[in-house]
Amino acid sequence: MEALKQFFMTAPVDPATFAQSLWLIIALPLLGAFVCGVFGKMLGRGNVHLIACATVAGSFVLSVLAFWSVSHVQGGTPVAMESVYSPNAIRYAIGYDYGTWFSVGTFRVNFGLLVDHLSGTLLLVITGVGFLIHLYSTSYMEHDDGYWRYFAYLNLFVAAMLTLVLADNLVLLFVGWEGVGMASYLLIGFWYTDAAKAWAGRKAFITNRIGDFAFLIATFLIVLLVSAFNSQANVANFTTVSGAAETAQVRFREGQQLKGPVAFQGLEVLANALPQNAKVNAQAAVTLETPIAEGPLAGRTFGGVLTVALLLFLLGAAGKSAQFPLYVWLPDAMAGPTPVSALIHAATMVTAGVYLFSRMSFLLVLSPTAMTTVAIIGTITSLLAALIAFAQDDIKKVLAYSTVSQLGIMFMGVGAGIFWAAVLHLVTHAFFKACLFLGAGSVMHGNADETDIKKLGGLRHEMKWTWGTFLVATLAITGIVPLSGFFSKDAIFHGLHHNHLHGYESVTHALYYVGLLIAASTAFYMSRAYLLTFEGKRSPEAKIAHAHESAWQMTLPLVVLAVLSVVALVYALPLMPGRSGPQPVMENFLGPVFASAERIAGRADLVKLDHSVPGFGDYLFAWLVALTGGAAAAFLYMKYFPAQVGKPAPAFARSVRRFTQNKFYVDEAYEFLVIRPVKNVSGILYKLVDTLLIDTVAVRGTAWVTARVGSALRYVQTGDAQGYAAVMALALLGGAVYALIQVLQ
Amino acid sequence: MVPISYYLILAAALFCLGMFGVLIRRNALVVFMCVELMLNAANLTFLAFAKQNGDLTGHVSAFFVIAVAAAEASIGLAIVIAVFRSRGTVNIDEIRTMKH
Repeated sequence: MEALKQFFMTAPVDPATFAQSLWLIIALPLLGAFVCGVFGKMLGRGNVHLIACATVAGSFVLSVLAFWSVSHVQGGTPVAMESVYSPNAIRYAIGYDYGTWFSVGTFRVNFGLLVDHLSGTLLLVITGVGFLIHLYSTSYMEHDDGYWRYFAYLNLFVAAMLTLVLADNLVLLFVGWEGVGMASYLLIGFWYTDAAKAWAGRKAFITNRIGDFAFLIATFLIVLLVSAFNSQANVANFTTVSGAAETAQVRFREGQQLKGPVAFQGLEVLANALPQNAKVNAQAAVTLETPIAEGPLAGRTFGGVLTVALLLFLLGAAGKSAQFPLYVWLPDAMAGPTPVSALIHAATMVTAGVYLFSRMSFLLVLSPTAMTTVAIIGTITSLLAALIAFAQDDIKKVLAYSTVSQLGIMFMGVGAGIFWAAVLHLVTHAFFKACLFLGAGSVMHGNADETDIKKLGGLRHEMKWTWGTFLVATLAITGIVPLSGFFSKDAIFHGLHHNHLHGYESVTHALYYVGLLIAASTAFYMSRAYLLTFEGKRSPEAKIAHAHESAWQMTLPLVVLAVLSVVALVYALPLMPGRSGPQPVMENFLGPVFASAERIAGRADLVKLDHSVPGFGDYLFAWLVALTGGAAAAFLYMKYFPAQVGKPAPAFARSVRRFTQNKFYVDEAYEFLVIRPVKNVSGILYKLVDTLLIDTVAVRGTAWVTARVGSALRYVQTGDAQGYAAVMALALLGGAVYALIQVLQ
Repeated sequence: MVPISYYLILAAALFCLGMFGVLIRRNALVVFMCVELMLNAANLTFLAFAKQNGDLTGHVSAFFVIAVAAAEASIGLAIVIAVFRSRGTVNIDEIRTMKH
């Protein structure tokens, strides 16, 4: 055991040496995208498959090495990165700064990459699950002519997502953020000859743009906030950062000049140096309640600007992670190929919002308002999506709404301050949701692209591998006891129940009970999808009489993912020694990342983070909730409904079902409330400004005036001597009249 | 003695006649004659003022005008003849060569 521990704690490559090669993790899939995209057609199917899979596999190997390096312990000291912002090195992190990317005046952005336990975990998920999905795609897309385009996009997506995760500042993160948005647009609209699918791509793109706009404004606000802090803070502000406050201040200023104001390390120091109020640090010049003295934000308090920036980040995250006002694109995104749904819409891109808030946890804990909003938005999204999923008949739509719902649960975790549980749920969800999506793809593949679960059924015996893995993943997402989904979800709900956001205690308690409802709903609709697809008899409406099992390239990823979604439970078990009793593995593991957030939360009375471990009773209760939901679905769809066949359903049931099936008419409401007014206003503006003002008055008007003046002045130059003489005569007359008037006066 | 205003009114009438002739007539020769008429109207005013002032300045001016007009008329007639030779007309509507 000790030898094994030693093995895992000794990186095969020296971390400092390896850090310089971090860029390769991004560059490999990017190279793959380039080669597949430009030469793909000439290379042929086999070579494209090889290149696309190999580059991602290479990234995976490098990610493993990076992850290993991060856990490197030499002589009892963990690997530590020199921080330019504070005298304390960053524990359990490696990073490398490739120099200035661009700078404008005092504003500067560096191309810096950073791997700590959080981004390391994400790296493994992205490249690991990404590789399995690449492998799966080689079989799934075997009949598609655009295979080279598909793999180029897929590689591009992985590269963008890796940029997002590796970035050590907000601007580079935004590059990845935009990159995944673009790649997802390309992939959703992959079959662009089908108008509906192209539209789905556009919808995703535009909805994401709304969020990205908010993200940008928030970034600008942060930049302004940092510069305001620079001019107002004094040494006493930095006493909280480290022992020697003056050194800390000097280093912070130097770091700002070296790496710019948007680097995460700098923001972390800033968050540490911003006490909540004068009670916490009486000498500090700047607290959350201090008004900003000068600049565009003059008069606003630091805390207020921070809250606004975080809320804008929330809107940005809502776009990418399909949260409440902007979730509508995700279910439509199922128009793309199924592996894409698994890669983008379950495992990676949509978790970017959760990652962003985990990355900035130190800022988030400074604003209970923002945290509460995040939690409320997550809850609303989760409940709404779960209710909509009740009546969807398309298997991919059910899974899509279930993803939206699970993402909502992650946001609840982030909002309540249980960051480690949110990240754990992100990881376990990546495993079982990717497994579910790929399973659905396998079902479609074996059933002539049938997606209606009412027209499937009885696949249990025909597609054994798909059935087994789908069952495991369903049980995981439902929250049945020995599987990972149960533990990660329950950790979030437990924290929601016990954490305190000061001023909003009642809100989190209410959210906990909604969370129970969500858990039961999840169990219900997932069981329904599973039962209708795999159990019972084969539907008489099925397209083909016998389904066939898919090739090994498809079943192997399914098995791997199913195994992973079971074994990931280890991370939720309280096996590690903590300061107050045993600690879950994941919480211990992510400890260095969230240390700042813990410290800031512990220092003041804004947020109280709870570290209690769920007891046996809690587990039993959560288990019963999930079991109730699943049992209700089993009773309804195995016993009750089959017995009612032939009898007309009551009118109210039908109307409720129609209402749910139409997604609560949210799309229609958006159409009515947002899209139609915007269209009308732009129509009026088009008529008024474009057609009238610019076309008629400005463009044609200028031409008209010139032509008129020209035709009038033409008479001046006829070459007619008499005409000229007439002009002279008139001038003479004028002179004479003038002289006469002068004389007479 | 006839008051000077009578001479001036006569000169103005002659000048206007000449001017309208220049503006309206088509034949180049007639236009020249009208120019002469205008010059003579001017001469008349010079002489009238000279008589009134009792010095010779006006007479000298009139003398110069007549001399210059004679020179101008000879050159103008030469041009008109040259134009008639090349175009077969002296109608100034048809010889707008100043356009270019």
